[in-house]
Amino acid sequence: MENILEVKELSKKYSKVFAADKVSFNIGKGEIFALIGPNGAGKTTTIRMIATLLTPTSGDAVVAGHSVVNEPSKVRECITYLPDEAGAYKTMKGIEYLKFMAGLFTTDSREIEKYIEKAKNINGLGERLNDKIGTYSRGMIRKLLLSRAVMTSPKLAILDEPTSGLDVLNALDIRKTIKRLASEEGMSFLLSSHNMLEIEFVSDRVGIISKGHLMVTGRIDELKERYNAPNLEEVFERVVLENEIH
Amino acid sequence: MKFINLLKKELKELINAQMIISLVVVMFLLMAVGNIMSSTIDEVSKTEYKISLDDRDNTDFTKSIISKMKENGTVATPVDTQGDDYAAILKDNNLDSIIIIPQGFTEAIDSKKKPQLITVSRMESAAMMSNVNNHVSDVTDVIRGCIYEELSQRAGITQEELEYMSSPVNISDNTVVDDKSANISVETIMNSVMMKNQILPIIVFVLIMMVSQTIMSAIANEKIDKTLETLLSAPVSRSSIIRAKMLAAAIVAMINAVFYMVGFSTLMSKGMGSTINTSMNVEEIAGNIGSVGDIVSTESKLSQLGLSLSVTDYLLVGLQLFITIMICLSVSIILGALVNDVKSSQTMIMPLMMLAMIPYMISIFADVNSLPTALKILVYAIPFTHTFSAMSNLMFGHDIIFFAGLAYQIVVLAVCMFFSLRLFNSDKILTISLKFGKKDKTTNSDT
Ligand SMILES: Nc1ncnc2c1ncn2[C@@H]1O[C@H](COP(=O)(O)OP(=O)(O)OP(=O)(O)O)[C@@H](O)[C@H]1O
Ligand SMILES: [Mg+2]
Repeated sequence: MENILEVKELSKKYSKVFAADKVSFNIGKGEIFALIGPNGAGKTTTIRMIATLLTPTSGDAVVAGHSVVNEPSKVRECITYLPDEAGAYKTMKGIEYLKFMAGLFTTDSREIEKYIEKAKNINGLGERLNDKIGTYSRGMIRKLLLSRAVMTSPKLAILDEPTSGLDVLNALDIRKTIKRLASEEGMSFLLSSHNMLEIEFVSDRVGIISKGHLMVTGRIDELKERYNAPNLEEVFERVVLENEIH
Repeated sequence: MKFINLLKKELKELINAQMIISLVVVMFLLMAVGNIMSSTIDEVSKTEYKISLDDRDNTDFTKSIISKMKENGTVATPVDTQGDDYAAILKDNNLDSIIIIPQGFTEAIDSKKKPQLITVSRMESAAMMSNVNNHVSDVTDVIRGCIYEELSQRAGITQEELEYMSSPVNISDNTVVDDKSANISVETIMNSVMMKNQILPIIVFVLIMMVSQTIMSAIANEKIDKTLETLLSAPVSRSSIIRAKMLAAAIVAMINAVFYMVGFSTLMSKGMGSTINTSMNVEEIAGNIGSVGDIVSTESKLSQLGLSLSVTDYLLVGLQLFITIMICLSVSIILGALVNDVKSSQTMIMPLMMLAMIPYMISIFADVNSLPTALKILVYAIPFTHTFSAMSNLMFGHDIIFFAGLAYQIVVLAVCMFFSLRLFNSDKILTISLKFGKKDKTTNSDT
């Protein structure tokens, strides 16, 4: 399978500590890959390096053939990034926000219309898109931002905790959307999450990260078998505890 | 164009109802204050004074003084009061001021002693304009003049002789600037250039503060909402993100500059302008030498001295103002990036505020060029100083200082731009932060 993302020994050092230490993994086309790990494990740090926001201390990540170190602007054309706990411009209307963001990816007005149309279908906000974002609930903002992240059909969509703070129904809705886009359009996803149920449902493969080290990667059923655990939660527990002992 | 898209978004964020309302309110206030000042002054400058007067002496002499006052256009309303409880006198007669000619006034004059003339004024505030309706001292001057005239007549001095004696010399004031001279007094020049020279610093100061605050909170907000991360991971060049932000802030600043300029000019020309004219009018009435011709020719005298500014000069001042704003913007971008919450963005403006405050104060009270050398260099090292002293430097022909200042500001701008661009091109924009009184981020792992 063609790899959309190849992460090679990616490291980031903050003052003295390595927030990410020689992290390596791949994501194939149409694949959904999830990074899981305890708080402060280095998920956001790894993701931000791949999203060209942080400069790696060492190592590299190659997105669709472009290195994040050497050609970050090429990488930006292939990805979209949804930060955790992100907001949007409160004084803008939802529809204006989509238009503004679409305008950053293309200058073709027909293309922009197409993107907006797609985002509308995905977020289901309907008439509320004509209201100021300041009046939206957390779930509505999250849906708006998610639809923005996928409307341009990027080769790789990077979503940091896409469903955190959402109710069950909204979260389910977003998971379904992600799965559909991966299978129907062949979009690849890099996610992070604390919700093991969600990961089991949505992702093809996971990577468990702890204290900056990527401990294991693999298909969920493989991991369950390897660690002889009934569910992902227990796999996670064992892997993280193993790392604590070291 | 993606840049236009960015610019439109920045402008939309900055030009909102709030900004327009505050602009309109400020304009309205400035104009209203100007109008109030000019109408108060108009009232004052009417040469006819009204005053309450209690003639307790009530002799032929005092009566003739009062009728002389009337001839000179001063109407004294007679009131009848007793005793020396002045607060009660004002209160009972519902007055703000009164002049009392005490008993024995005429007797004292006749025996060549100095009699007392009593004035009582109510004071309610120390504001500049609040006591402007109090004519007591003007009226006592008139009374003194009338007595002077009366006594002169008794001594057999004619009206012409009297007029001559009250002003026996004509003074010809001359002022020299560099090697040019003109027949005009320093005060007259000060009065007419003060207005122009003070509008600019006020506007520069207001703009520096406003522009810095605007862009700083714009950057801080983008950081807090993480919209900055979204922007920086999008396929647009980082320099175009900065340029859009700076241009939008500069455009808004310029719109504000124009509005403030109009507002302050109205305030100055209506308010301050009529103060100056009033003082001239009073002098004329008092029979001094100041004539209308003098005022009209002030402008031509100024250009004779090389003190009037040409169109090129104004363009240069405008250019410098623009560079000043750009310096503010690029410094504020750096400061804004250091901020992680809205509260500390208010603290971050302090360094800029100080840098603007020092030259602003100096420009109002002193001439930078006349400071001791060490201090002068220090003050000139603040880039904003050159903007505050631009007008006066151009006016008094210190062209070298002006252009050196301009060059210095351009260098400062280049350095600041370089650093803010570098900041945006590195990941420092997302990772640096100054936290005030909070724990370092590396020590707590729960983000
Ligand atoms: N700007 C920074 N400066 C210094 N240290 C940082 C900075 N950002 C993150 N870190 C540290 O790097 C480590 C990894 O943080 P990161 O945000 O990647 O964790 P995470 O896995 O995303 O955690 P969470 O699940 O809570 O989001 C943490 O110990 C954190 O304190
Ligand atoms: Mg995180």
